[in-house]
Amino acid sequence: MGKTMIQKIIQRASGKEVQVGDRVWCKIDLSTARDFGGPNCVLQFDEVTDKAKVWDPDKIAFTFDLQAPAHAEKVANNQKIIRDFAKRQGISKVFDVNWGIGQHVLLEHGLVKPGDVILGTDSHMNLLGGVGAFATGVGNTDIVASWINGTLWFRVPETMRITTTGSFGKGVCMRDYLTFLVGKLGADGMFFKAVEYYGETIEKSSLADRITLCSMVTEMSGKVGLITPNGEVLDWLVKRAGKEVIERIEAMKADSDAIYSDDLHFDVSKLEPMASCPDAPDNVKTVREVAGTHIDQVHIGSCSNGRFEDIAAAFEVLKDAGFQVSDNVRTIITPTTREVMKQCAEAGFIQKFLEAGVVFTNPTCSLCTAEHYGVLPGGDVGVSTTNRNFIGKVGKGSHTYLVSPMTAMASAVKGVLTDPRDILK
Amino acid sequence: MKIQGKVWKYGDDINTDVIFAGKYTYTIKDRAEMAKVALEDLDPEFTKNAQAGDIIVGGKNWGCGSSREQAVTCLKERGIGAIIAKGFARIYYRNCLNEGLPIIVSAEAVDAINAGETVEVDFDASEIKTASGKVFKFPPYPEFVRGLIEDGGLIPHVKKSLGLSK
Repeated sequence: MGKTMIQKIIQRASGKEVQVGDRVWCKIDLSTARDFGGPNCVLQFDEVTDKAKVWDPDKIAFTFDLQAPAHAEKVANNQKIIRDFAKRQGISKVFDVNWGIGQHVLLEHGLVKPGDVILGTDSHMNLLGGVGAFATGVGNTDIVASWINGTLWFRVPETMRITTTGSFGKGVCMRDYLTFLVGKLGADGMFFKAVEYYGETIEKSSLADRITLCSMVTEMSGKVGLITPNGEVLDWLVKRAGKEVIERIEAMKADSDAIYSDDLHFDVSKLEPMASCPDAPDNVKTVREVAGTHIDQVHIGSCSNGRFEDIAAAFEVLKDAGFQVSDNVRTIITPTTREVMKQCAEAGFIQKFLEAGVVFTNPTCSLCTAEHYGVLPGGDVGVSTTNRNFIGKVGKGSHTYLVSPMTAMASAVKGVLTDPRDILK
Repeated sequence: MKIQGKVWKYGDDINTDVIFAGKYTYTIKDRAEMAKVALEDLDPEFTKNAQAGDIIVGGKNWGCGSSREQAVTCLKERGIGAIIAKGFARIYYRNCLNEGLPIIVSAEAVDAINAGETVEVDFDASEIKTASGKVFKFPPYPEFVRGLIEDGGLIPHVKKSLGLSK
């Protein structure tokens, strides 16, 4: 019987022939922790092992992204716990507060290959499925166990196949398609499953779009979304992670007779700009249906939609609006990584954003939590390209609409929720 | 193993932010301290009055959102005997097994159980008995999962397999 991608990945990592439902121990290629969750991992590891050595310091990485640089003493102290541990353990892959969002930084550094099994203390680790890696967010106990002997248990999941065809219309992008999917399938629509994305829309898409699509698998309760690197994305990845990438892709391709639990097909040609309305990602409407809604703040960024292509799309909207955002909203843009920020600087975006009245920040996870600058006061309504809008997520009593970077910028320009097609020329 | 406890009942999509508030994730590292603020943003009554042995009953997608394990640790340390839900978010599910906190998926039982009643869970017979005497069977844990729970969670299990435990 044929095997899906996740089955092949788990077979490589476990050294065993596996079937759906099996629970097996897998070798871990990279076990990471960040400034959020990481200190707990370090303290727990030292406690349960009596400060033993980690299994392999070269397969552990730390990233500082949730609150970078530290904005409070409690944060600073936690970050120090990680730095001290890395030094003591001889862990050199430490990406401090100057780098940006962990998964993206790992990817840019060539530390992620298709078929890798990667752990992290971030529920959106699985965005690395955008290049075919099985990356997954876990709790601190899982991380600590992996640091002891380099393995972790997994249940082999069912696989859902989603084929996507068609090209996006003006003002519509992958984020809108994703929001549509979350609305269509619901918060548990991918329940514990792996997803394989196929079709011309995916094959033509940028790395940024693939990351968006895989990041939000979490919001549908999926384990990981997997896309086989091809075209420009493959070239980019080989340049970063080496030629082994090509062998890995061959080894993990799904068999033609693989068994899928679901087989879905969507065409994006007639899709409209979409919004996840308060207070759940799967409360989905078209932007037209909620256009004109009062808003107080706009945020463009996050691991889902803060790459150069996302910011460039927002820039186009701002350009067509004459480079001015509304005085009635606070507009914040946060690039994903330092590399993305440099790209924005080189393209001349940052100068224009600043002149338009935008707050352009250093690369961080920024407004994914209420523990960062830009927090919303009770009663305020935010528009954001982040991945969750549970009530109070970025400030008690506040509400958030999740949209594409284009819709976010259109809303920043008009000062109310706005369909970007009303601005784009 | 058999447990009996008073039920705290909640709805669908209860996320980890309301089980263990984000504002505490930086300041509270002691497990006993985590237990003191469990469910503070969801149900202050629980935070004040929950007793060891009590049982939580939730709807679908219990524990969705952030991967923070404190959302499991705080309930385990509070002495919660089991969580019965229509479904669990993936990372939360793992974290429960890794912490050795028994969880059960049974939509029928969730619909039949009322807040505040006392229910019994028999893990050997794989059944839940409600106050009115209704019995709901649930699938027994696979051997692998049973091993994790019996060893007290993932770390003791790994240490045992490596010959590191006492």
